[in-house]
Amino acid sequence: MSTDEHTHSTEDHDHEHHEVEGPGYPTPAAMRTESGREKTAYVMAPRVGMEDAGADFVGIVDLDPTSDSYSELIDTVEMPNRGDELHHFGWNACSSSCHAEGLSRQYLVVPGQRSSRIHIIDAEDPRNPEMVKVIEPEEVFEHDLSAPHTVHCVPGGKVVISMLGDAEGELPGGFLQLDQDDFSIDGHWEADRGDMEMNYDYWYQPRHDVVISSEWAAPNTYYPGFDLEDVEDGEYGDSIHIWSWDDREHLQTLEFGEQGRIPLEVRMSHNPEETQGYVGAALSSNIIRFYEDNGSWDWDVVIDEEPREHEDWDMPVPPLITDILLSLDDQYLFFSNWLHGDVRMYDVSDAANPRLVDQVWAGGLFGDRQQVQGEEIRGAPQMLQLSRDGRRLYWTTSLFSSWDNQFFPDIADEGSLMLKADVYPDEGRMELDEEFLVDFGDAPGGPARAHEIRWPGGDCTSDVWQ
Amino acid sequence: MAATHAIELVWPDGGTETIRVRDDETVVDAATEADVAVPYGCLYGVCGTCTAALLDGDVSHRKPPRALKPRSLDAGYVLPCIATPDSDCRLRVGHEIQAEVLGTPWK
Repeated sequence: MSTDEHTHSTEDHDHEHHEVEGPGYPTPAAMRTESGREKTAYVMAPRVGMEDAGADFVGIVDLDPTSDSYSELIDTVEMPNRGDELHHFGWNACSSSCHAEGLSRQYLVVPGQRSSRIHIIDAEDPRNPEMVKVIEPEEVFEHDLSAPHTVHCVPGGKVVISMLGDAEGELPGGFLQLDQDDFSIDGHWEADRGDMEMNYDYWYQPRHDVVISSEWAAPNTYYPGFDLEDVEDGEYGDSIHIWSWDDREHLQTLEFGEQGRIPLEVRMSHNPEETQGYVGAALSSNIIRFYEDNGSWDWDVVIDEEPREHEDWDMPVPPLITDILLSLDDQYLFFSNWLHGDVRMYDVSDAANPRLVDQVWAGGLFGDRQQVQGEEIRGAPQMLQLSRDGRRLYWTTSLFSSWDNQFFPDIADEGSLMLKADVYPDEGRMELDEEFLVDFGDAPGGPARAHEIRWPGGDCTSDVWQ
Repeated sequence: MAATHAIELVWPDGGTETIRVRDDETVVDAATEADVAVPYGCLYGVCGTCTAALLDGDVSHRKPPRALKPRSLDAGYVLPCIATPDSDCRLRVGHEIQAEVLGTPWK
């Protein structure tokens, strides 16, 4: 199976090749138990809106604890342009194509959220990825789409990217489909978007003929920064959308209203038998569970967090749930409260009744810990990534350049961080690993933000099973 | 022939830099050509990363300035990525102006 790494040392990492049988694993349990420890991380590192705004880069972080450069940013792939705002990214192939011969998890699809430019990076050698193609914004705008976000490879040799806006940066968004062979643009994925206007993240379960997409806002609303007036004016999302995977048609809208303002990351169970999942409503700071019930979809708020008073702030501040993640065995749900400053771990073995088992505070408005290794924690827990075996949780501290600049302006001068907690799934607890710190403030060429994290070989937010 | 105008860029630390900008090119394009690093993102007036405050002079936006609300335009904020000069100008620039326009919610 395709694993994280060659069996390499830092000296001889450039000549061996994977023993690739397919681009993923037959089941989530196979990925969890047979893949080996992550030894490398790819981290999106935007410099948009920084004091010294050079080009964004994909950071390569050494996660091999036996290596001399463990917990360091060891290399970067610089973007050819400035201003992209690298944000989320994905693979050309994952476990959804496990039985497709001749296909391998080799190419990273790396969109620029602001530029609408899409980069293709060949990561065949995990420690020496190379830019091989750039799709320029004009080619994307031709399809009346902009603001690329979530990238999933899908069965049938395609890559589908959620797009948040039209060519003018207004609504509606849609989905852009690329061909896996040459990364040419096919056009829109969706055949009928029904009443869907806003887009953000999406997940799919081909076995159950379903796609679930969420809502942020129009690019020209959220790009410039967060304005509560826009929330009052209904410019931010409060719904998720159910689509037919096979027919590419919008079927149903689940409207949350006050209980589900700004529903962002969508995580369905990894178990392909399941027809349920969770979405984090950032502004309402609720976790909403959605599930199939007699052929249609329904939802419940299963975690409801409260805003909190802070002496320096005029109004109670919401936690702001900005990322959520399910362990590969679907037993634990993790999420980040980017304003409050904590990561939470819930036991979701009873899916409709999550049980808080632990939390780690680090940075943010309320974290009792504001430093790691003497370094100020700029920002707060944000994008999460869990090791495949569920024992190490990593996160970065930047949300989005313009929102960072409103809430945690120090990131613009000094960059953000990548941190880690050790997770003990058998004991239902986690602990900050104070030995681990990657300071993107020290990046070659100047400080950078740090956003989504992925491992070579796939991770908890990349792979889907048929 | 396109006319050119002198655009004085005023940085947060009080430093200034003057670039020549033709009336048919954007301030960001001219700055990039002159190797002066001003902030920008989308390059089509939607994202607000480049937001600057017009201190003197006049500019025109060659596309709708979608990143700025009417009140921000009224307050003199402009988008250098789509702004062409109509006269000599002074522009306050820097990455933090984008956040200054909206402030910090709840604070």
